[in-house]
Amino acid sequence: MYPKRIEKYLLKVQKPGRYVGGELGAVIKDKHEVDVRFAFCFPDTYEIGMSHLGIKILYSLFNSRPYIWCERVFAPWTDMEQIMLDHDIPLYALESGDPLTDFDFIGFTLQYELSYTNILNMLKLGGIPVLSRDRHGLEHIVVAGGPCACNPEPITDFIDIFFLGDGEEVDLEVIELYRECKKNGASRDEFLRRAALISGVYVPSLYDVSYNDDGTIRSVTPRDGAPAVIEKRCIMDMDSCYYPDDFVLPNIEIVHDRAVAEIFRGCIRGCRFCQAGFLYRPVREKSIPCISEQCHKLCRNTGYDEISLSSLSSSDYTKVVELLRELNSWAKPENVSLSLPSLRVDGFTDDILDQIKTVRKSGLTFAPEAGSQRLRDAINKNVFEDELMSTCRVAFEGGYTTVKLYFMIGLPTETMDDVAEIADLGRKVVDTYYSTENRVKGKSPRVTISASSFVPKPFTPFQWEPQDTMDVLREKQQHIRSSITTRKITYNYHDSDTSFLEAVFARGDRKLNQVMLKAHERGMHFDSWGDFFSLEKWLDVFKECGIDPAFYANRRRSFDEILPWDHLDYGITKEFLKRECERAYESKPSPNCREKCMMCGAKKYCGGVCYEER
Amino acid sequence: MRNARVFFKKYGAGKYISHLDLNRVMLRAIGKSQLDIWRTEGFHQHAYITFALPLSLGYASECESMDFRLLDDNEDMSLIPERLNKCLPEGLRVLRCADAVMKPDKIASATYDIVLEPMNDGEISKKELSGKLKEFIQLPEIPVEKKTKKGMKTIDLKGYILGCELPDSDSVRMILTLPAGASLNINPSLFVTALSDHIGVELYADVTRTGIFTQEGKSFE
Repeated sequence: MYPKRIEKYLLKVQKPGRYVGGELGAVIKDKHEVDVRFAFCFPDTYEIGMSHLGIKILYSLFNSRPYIWCERVFAPWTDMEQIMLDHDIPLYALESGDPLTDFDFIGFTLQYELSYTNILNMLKLGGIPVLSRDRHGLEHIVVAGGPCACNPEPITDFIDIFFLGDGEEVDLEVIELYRECKKNGASRDEFLRRAALISGVYVPSLYDVSYNDDGTIRSVTPRDGAPAVIEKRCIMDMDSCYYPDDFVLPNIEIVHDRAVAEIFRGCIRGCRFCQAGFLYRPVREKSIPCISEQCHKLCRNTGYDEISLSSLSSSDYTKVVELLRELNSWAKPENVSLSLPSLRVDGFTDDILDQIKTVRKSGLTFAPEAGSQRLRDAINKNVFEDELMSTCRVAFEGGYTTVKLYFMIGLPTETMDDVAEIADLGRKVVDTYYSTENRVKGKSPRVTISASSFVPKPFTPFQWEPQDTMDVLREKQQHIRSSITTRKITYNYHDSDTSFLEAVFARGDRKLNQVMLKAHERGMHFDSWGDFFSLEKWLDVFKECGIDPAFYANRRRSFDEILPWDHLDYGITKEFLKRECERAYESKPSPNCREKCMMCGAKKYCGGVCYEER
Repeated sequence: MRNARVFFKKYGAGKYISHLDLNRVMLRAIGKSQLDIWRTEGFHQHAYITFALPLSLGYASECESMDFRLLDDNEDMSLIPERLNKCLPEGLRVLRCADAVMKPDKIASATYDIVLEPMNDGEISKKELSGKLKEFIQLPEIPVEKKTKKGMKTIDLKGYILGCELPDSDSVRMILTLPAGASLNINPSLFVTALSDHIGVELYADVTRTGIFTQEGKSFE
């Protein structure tokens, strides 16, 4: 429940429902009867945080243990933040209304680099010292997990513990250890030292990093018995993995307001730009009966009439049509509709279309990522033009008129000709519409081309690549615009400034902590929101810290450089990534995991797609 | 098919569920309760519910109502409040369910219980505020700006006040009856803003709608 004294101010802010809690499914416990209080913080607004599947899973999992009370905390929007500052109201958790200082753990999920400033801001608003070294005693342990934990070096001064890989097991192990340490009166240092011995736990304060004169890393040395290499956690049996049968049901509209089923983790494709495709290897599927039962319970318990089947590439589920049929056996009679996001161009079949024909016919979205076949081969996005066109034809025959195409610019090996072909591909989709004989008559097609700027990420074959400079990216954005010749195409592009900053922090090292701290001190936050992001301010901060952001974003690393994340092990070998990078230079695609094993290293987890019968 | 009407309270966190969001929350609750109600049959099929009189964001109420059509004529209406309450968040409680008697267009007025205090603590004492309020309601006219479909319009609020009581209370409190309904609806915030402007102190009003009435003064059933 919200603190009573904010009541007066709530009508002065946009969407006060963000700050009051009280939702159905929110877990209320007696704080005197639990041993560990965990504040699960999402460093963005309520509507975004509440749409995130990871927080739903971990929230329910933690609360399923009687001795843990997990609550939710979101970043207040700037109007509310100002009120909290003006009236000395510390950031509070939605269930109890208690400030962050009342919690044992303050946990953050790291979904995107541009949310880092929000983490520091939330700590400050909650009255928690932002620097790890200023926090003492066995309380206020700041932990973080999620995809960006694969290179957490830019925020190691602020976070005590990072969780690598799947959180379902490791998080509980650390909480259990904390509970024991608290009982025995152990010190914070002792707890951290012992936590570092748990697989999947990275305690950055136990590692010393030294640098060469050119700014690259010389060595990373563990202390106090911490492991030299930290391995990610990977849950192999997805059917027995915890999954909630109920969600906290938001009272206000959120971004994704529906039931979600996770149908598998990982991706067989290995698109070379895609970090998720490597971080979550190997592919581990849930069985059809398991998914169906979980979905059914979830719909019954929540009252949702829509299920979204979540994964990195839904149509790669081995028996996707069977799955949809099974789900529809109860979903149709109960007026529940299915949606299947992340469909690949080549996975869009009549069979699938029949099963997901929901009441709302929104547009279709495909991501060819690159305009030319040559470049699609180089990035290993194995999508062919004729597949795209035949898929669009199926869609147009099915009554769709709107197609969105997502592309990236600034991909390694890209030329201006590749860029121009983006516009060309859009035009061909428009042409396909007019050549589709069974299309809905009397309507005009709408093709949207979106171009975002490529950000090289750790644990991908492009982790050594320079990002295009902002000037080059802007030139490419304009080149697409001038290559578009039809008004049926809407063109928009993602601001290259934010992509630049993302590139800096994605592959940053510990020297960036001071930049982060200074940016925080200057009040910078909500950088992922265009309204607040200012590259100029960031460049000022870099300058003052004597750090050149181009060193991180635009520099080509050599294959033998020690990378800031080399001491973290996500199961993918550096050798494999090198081989994939070299194949990219030759514009040579690689087969997917089901076609041929490329020896990435994930086989060591002893399960998943690596051991499927072929 | 029976036209059912549930009456519910809105309070606490429930006050911050907007009218649009209330529709969503109720639809989900009906889905979860597995109550069999009529669904629209058009292209976008969905369960059909309507609300007689929207409530402003941030107001509590003891007398909200929602209508739907029960497909089963033999459905036991006395069980419906409990079934729905299990599926509703804190701050929304169904009080009773009955056959809808009146059409929503019969609604003519609503009563609001309003507790006033200064937005900034200590800016005005209770005694002083209470005195100012008494003076204010004695004014011969209260001109206010009201937003209409045709733009801003100045009206004399005084002429629209159907009832105004100042009960004995520890707080500065008033019970105000104002026109309500689709054709003419006066929001009590107009009164509060006018009072604020008059005394030059920003006020916070804790508003609860306590009754909805017809032209004849009967409770909306």
